[in-house]
Amino acid sequence: MAGKRILLVEDEPNIVESLRFILEQAGFEVDVISDGNAALASVIADRPDAVVLDIMLPGMNGFDVLRAVRGDTKLASLPVIVLTAKGQPNDRKMAETIGATAFITKPFSNAEVIECVRSHAGS
Amino acid sequence: MRQNLTGYKIRSLRREAGLTQASLAKKAQISASYLNLIEANRRPAAGALLDRIAAGLGIDRSVLDGRAESRMVEALEEIAADPAVAVAPRPVAAEQLVSDHPDWASFVQRLYRGYLEQSETVMALADRLNRDPFLGDSVHRMLSSVTAIHSAAEILQGTERLSPSDRRRFLDIVSSDSETLARTAKSLVEFIESTHVRMRSVTPTEAVDAFLFESDNHFAEIEALTESFRSQAQDRESVEDAAARAVKLAGGRMLDIDPFALPESRRFAILRHWALVCGHEVIEAVLAAHGTLSPEARELCAQALHSYAAGALAMPYGPFLEAAETWRYDIDRLARRFGVSYEQAAHRLSTLRRPGQPGVRFAFMRSDASGFVTKRLPLTNLPLPRHATACPLWAVHGAFQSPGVTVRNIGELPSGDRFLFFARAIDKVPAVAGRPRRLLSVMLACNADEAGRVIYGDGLQHEQAVVPVGTVCRLCRRPDCRHRQEAPLVV
Repeated sequence: MAGKRILLVEDEPNIVESLRFILEQAGFEVDVISDGNAALASVIADRPDAVVLDIMLPGMNGFDVLRAVRGDTKLASLPVIVLTAKGQPNDRKMAETIGATAFITKPFSNAEVIECVRSHAGS
Repeated sequence: MRQNLTGYKIRSLRREAGLTQASLAKKAQISASYLNLIEANRRPAAGALLDRIAAGLGIDRSVLDGRAESRMVEALEEIAADPAVAVAPRPVAAEQLVSDHPDWASFVQRLYRGYLEQSETVMALADRLNRDPFLGDSVHRMLSSVTAIHSAAEILQGTERLSPSDRRRFLDIVSSDSETLARTAKSLVEFIESTHVRMRSVTPTEAVDAFLFESDNHFAEIEALTESFRSQAQDRESVEDAAARAVKLAGGRMLDIDPFALPESRRFAILRHWALVCGHEVIEAVLAAHGTLSPEARELCAQALHSYAAGALAMPYGPFLEAAETWRYDIDRLARRFGVSYEQAAHRLSTLRRPGQPGVRFAFMRSDASGFVTKRLPLTNLPLPRHATACPLWAVHGAFQSPGVTVRNIGELPSGDRFLFFARAIDKVPAVAGRPRRLLSVMLACNADEAGRVIYGDGLQHEQAVVPVGTVCRLCRRPDCRHRQEAPLVV
């Protein structure tokens, strides 16, 4: 599983610290981007193995990033795990409708995030 | 017409008195089978027969007229038609519930009022949570801090061989986000404590409606008070000057009146203030005689009585009734003659109910352009909606199409009862250039039988002029009405 590249799109520095730490501990390579537009550019250019995506981001929001990703046929099967404080049923439904692979609400347990990334990033 | 409740009432009181149908029938000088029909509401009981039945039951005839019960039935039917609580099939006839279990009927009514009150509060709070950017932002910041603390704490607790530098890093995260969380929580608490959601209660407003209806919107004590005051006023002194002088003599505070208010509004404000200062004892006695009222309802009822007293002072009963009869209830003429506004004169007409000296009996309704009813006084056979918008064909709505002009029609309810409706949209406050006018529509309605006594009924007597109307869509049985906004729940 080592060497799988995860793009972490999150704008809260202290959450980024923890997520980067646990994902690296689990053997993933982690790139961090805190802005929606840059995240989309990075997905297209770098083709990570999975994306962990916050919704409330500066610039383009997470839903728009996901929509753009799913609009690109080459990225249709890219695992995108939505990780958000917006945990209302309609937020979840929206994420599912536009093609989120999984949906995790904040606050999360570290183990939950690792298990989810492992199961979707592939081996 | 709504099924009369008199029969049910007779049956209930007869059972309470421990009388058989045969014995009461004998006292009332009718056959037991006819009494049976009356009790089942299949035959009417009125006039001398009702007197004999009342005598047979040993009660006053007024107990049997069923006015209060009719009002309760209307309220229950409106509740049953609310889609939020309606059930299918509809429950037993409201008349039967009111007749057989009046306490339960009253309980249902109170429960529904409470439900409306809570619904409004919940909606207001939900709206505020959804729309207030400070609240939304605060909740998001708190969740982010909690997430950072939780995740860092798990790392600190669950990672074997954590390096000293990593330990320090995650302890710093826990520390800094704890501070952020505390700050955010504190500002949120301050925000909530500094702003109050006003819990608007619908119940006191309904209590005022009930108070006015049950008092028949006529207060003999206040009429006597104002007549006595007028008789003592000095010659050539206007009633408002006399009122202002009386307030001053009583040690009352002088009133600050909006200098931009219309003259009749200024005058009415002085008279209301007189009622507050000089009519206090009489008004308190009227309220005390009515029975228990909540503090909020009592305050609203007192305000209604202050306005009533001001109206009675400006438009003394006898002269006003005489002028009204002479001019056939021409409100503009009455308003000019007594120096009051159109609305004040219209409202005074709805109080002309002195026993032995009544005028035409009018229902009164005032609504804003959205259909929100701000004042209502129904007639026994013309219920005015409490919780829904009135029939769009009523003149009260049509009046907004041409403010200042009286809109009128003869409307026929699905029950077959006909009423003369007439309404006018008026400026509630003086118009200000560049701002929307604050218009209110003032409507009076009387039984069509009396339309001939009223100038607004002229030319509407022919059959083609009759407009089929309802009360509210939910309760209206007209299937083909082009103005329908909601499906009928009563078929």
